[in-house]
Amino acid sequence: MILLTRKIEFSASHLYHNPNLSAEENRRIFGKCNNPHGHGHNYTLEVTVAGEPHPVTGMVLDLKELKEILEREVMQRMDHRHLNYEVPELAGQIPTCENIARVIWQLLEPKIKQGKLHRVRLYESPDLFADCYRNGASRAGN
Amino acid sequence: MNRRTFSRTATATARAEQGIEERGTPVKEDALHIELGRRYLFAASHRLHSRQLSEEENYRVFGKCNNPYGHGHNYILEVSLSGKIDPATGMIANLADLDAFVTRHVLEEFDHHSLNEDVPAFSDKVPTTENLCIEIFHRLQNFPHAKLERVRIQETGNNSFEYAGKRRKTTRDQANRRDPAE
Repeated sequence: MILLTRKIEFSASHLYHNPNLSAEENRRIFGKCNNPHGHGHNYTLEVTVAGEPHPVTGMVLDLKELKEILEREVMQRMDHRHLNYEVPELAGQIPTCENIARVIWQLLEPKIKQGKLHRVRLYESPDLFADCYRNGASRAGN
Repeated sequence: MNRRTFSRTATATARAEQGIEERGTPVKEDALHIELGRRYLFAASHRLHSRQLSEEENYRVFGKCNNPYGHGHNYILEVSLSGKIDPATGMIANLADLDAFVTRHVLEEFDHHSLNEDVPAFSDKVPTTENLCIEIFHRLQNFPHAKLERVRIQETGNNSFEYAGKRRKTTRDQANRRDPAE
């Protein structure tokens, strides 16, 4: 099995706020991520697809096709957007790295027809990232 | 307030679940495995030297890493946790809790210290990055708010090491194990 990874970057703003909690609780749990006008990050997304190379093309999947899927599903939805207000898939969820990675998995998995989505890794900064796998799948190749 | 305390606040959790999950995309929680990864940096010195080997053997095995006064690295420690995402916070674990735990159990003792001289675990164990991974994994595996999946340590830009605890025995391991009675 071959693992193939493509990386893209997008910039977006967000804030952490749970309307069901008091202002003090929000502040205590989320700290400066709770600042009311939000803040932004340069996110780096690594998408890994697993599969066998096609006997004729030698490809697990066409990188151009993966690039187009990422452009359509991720860039157009999230790049230069406010994740709390402009991304319906995240509505009602706190846009943490964990939740964004999960939403991206759900957007991409049905679109990848050749090979199987193996891992979504989303970096919010070089020091913080979330990984998403299908449960029970091998987590080799980290 | 840490995540664990927060989770125990039954009314807050119930309100949050109603408020958040009704509006959010339905998520098959158990179908996906999510991990949170966090990087830390520490600078430390070490000398690779085994008391079980002669001076010549030590130099042959460890080369310049055996130089008598040691040397240092900027280590990058990557900690991966897994667990359920709390719907009220969107988090597997609160970063403030994780940062405090790693600082207390690893960074305070390791950063700007000599691994050989200042960390008791290495008084009779060679402080290779393999052994460092195992030591740090053991120090962090009791983090109370999520499951420690693995630690990965980058010693330099060109080498890195990972440890995920003792792996569970597979049926093949069982089959290969020689019965002591044989």
